[in-house]
Amino acid sequence: MVRYVLRSAVGWLVMIVVATNATFFLASWFLDPRSNYRQLRPVRTEEQISRALRPYGLDPHESLVGRWWHWLSGVVLHFDWGHSPTGASVNSEVAYRVVISGQLVLAGVALSVLFGVALGVYTASRQYGVVDRVSQTVSVVLYNVPTAVGALGLVLLAVWLNQRAGGTVLHVAGASTPGVDGTLPRLLDRLDHLILPTINLALLGYAGWHFTQRALLLDTINADYVRTARATGLTRAQAIRRHALRSSLIPTATSVAFTIPTVFTGAIITETVFGWEGMGRYFTKTISENDVHGTVAVAAFGAVTTAVGAVLADIATVLLDPRVRVS
Amino acid sequence: MAAPIPPLPLDPEVPAPRLGRGRLYRRRFVRNRGALLGVLIFVALVLFAAFGHLLTSWNWADPDLTALTQPPTPAHPFGTGQGGNDLLAECVHGLQRSLVIALSVSALTTVIAAVVGAGTAYLGGRTERVSLAVIHFLLVVPSFLILALISNRVAGDWRVLILVLTLFGWVFNARIVWSVSTSLRERDYVLMAEFMDVSRWRIVLRHIVPHLSSLLIINLTLGVDSTVLNETALSFLGFGVKTPDVSLGSLLADGASTISSAPWLFAYPAGLLVVLTVSVMLIGDGLRDALDPTSRAGG
Repeated sequence: MVRYVLRSAVGWLVMIVVATNATFFLASWFLDPRSNYRQLRPVRTEEQISRALRPYGLDPHESLVGRWWHWLSGVVLHFDWGHSPTGASVNSEVAYRVVISGQLVLAGVALSVLFGVALGVYTASRQYGVVDRVSQTVSVVLYNVPTAVGALGLVLLAVWLNQRAGGTVLHVAGASTPGVDGTLPRLLDRLDHLILPTINLALLGYAGWHFTQRALLLDTINADYVRTARATGLTRAQAIRRHALRSSLIPTATSVAFTIPTVFTGAIITETVFGWEGMGRYFTKTISENDVHGTVAVAAFGAVTTAVGAVLADIATVLLDPRVRVS
Repeated sequence: MAAPIPPLPLDPEVPAPRLGRGRLYRRRFVRNRGALLGVLIFVALVLFAAFGHLLTSWNWADPDLTALTQPPTPAHPFGTGQGGNDLLAECVHGLQRSLVIALSVSALTTVIAAVVGAGTAYLGGRTERVSLAVIHFLLVVPSFLILALISNRVAGDWRVLILVLTLFGWVFNARIVWSVSTSLRERDYVLMAEFMDVSRWRIVLRHIVPHLSSLLIINLTLGVDSTVLNETALSFLGFGVKTPDVSLGSLLADGASTISSAPWLFAYPAGLLVVLTVSVMLIGDGLRDALDPTSRAGG
């Protein structure tokens, strides 16, 4: 088991390295750091701009391979992911943003998977009941709401709620209120800020899990082994839970891994709407500010989250499926 | 030798017409009310995109400087934006953009996915290994980031947006097509075609791909949905369609900044988007049920 996981982790590591380096070349090709300096007044000469960019390894007069080597040796030797064209360190930017994005994405994925799978199981065992039909309709609509629309709708709702309550019940912007002291108040404040964006991610993300889990369970619910299990004296609920559900969870577990990048994309928009300074905002900021090193760091973060998800999915498959033998 | 069995007498009152495949599918599809509703809404939206400009005397690009940020009035049924642009005209134009982008990207990705997925599965060997490696690699690469990188550089030309979305859109479908086709390459009719010395690409195109048609049709419809969502996300963040051009996504982004002072700027494009994606999803669901080979519906 451990060896199997280690082997797949090594495979993913290679993928991450290749993907990150490929992004470096793409980003260097498509982003021009000089344009940040061209907007400055008084006007800088090309020579001055090159001189300003050279210490960060971003000078376009240097060869692409040279810039790549500068960046790569920084990452490998000092774990230094480079600088933005204006000299801000990528490491310090990413360090606190990862935490902010991490809590948002994790909470969003966990809630949507839990709720979606639970609803899928409930409706599959009561196919064509009232709850099944109603929740199916609601899920179809929610599944198709673009993240931006959902997030802005929630903002409207929260603003209206705050006006009715005459104070700030739900925070619409930011990850925390500055100036809140003490462990408990700070924790409560964080949680309050987390509510709306998490609801947004969960509400728009759960529907996919609902559909797939419902379909998967309906496929297995009439299988022979479930009937055999009932023949041994289990109740219908027990047979479904212990036998049908277990095998129908396997494809779900594998696809959790590959939705993490999509959740991350959803988080970009959620962060933009709710004003969270996480990796998603950093993503839009680095691209619009021609920050090559920052963009590459975002890509590396995305690849790492995918890989972590995939390895976890492998482990879950092995634990759930008695037919999978690893050695 | 047994005596030849006399033919069964045909019951004249119960004719048993053999349904053609097309008619069977059509019947199953029409029986699904949700799917019909989806088709109706979709057709209405296409008509709105094509002829909606007749509903207003304003052009989407011309500002009405006497009406800045006005709520809906008879002159401007959807209200006006901050620059005095008529929102109805902008919505019609944006819907047109979004529809054209979504339909063409979805068609292109489906064709590429079918040819690459089925071809890879049939040819096997080194071709299969190499193209699977490429597909897996493209799945790991944060495609949304690269999409944003490229489309930001080319500055909002919708034709380039189609190319870029296609470039990254086919991968996942190709993976699915590949895994389905691996079971098709051993079929008898494929072997038969091989014995008859049919060329390899002809086998892929004439014998394998048609067997994937239901999967491909469903992918085509759902691809419209995911492209609309992707395009909206890109344009919302400012990396897709950009001013002076408008799409539903860029209209949303404009509306987002004035959401409490001028909610109609957000509400109309948002409503159109949701109605569009829901109708496409209903059509896709109906098609999936109608084309399902294991369907228990008799006729």
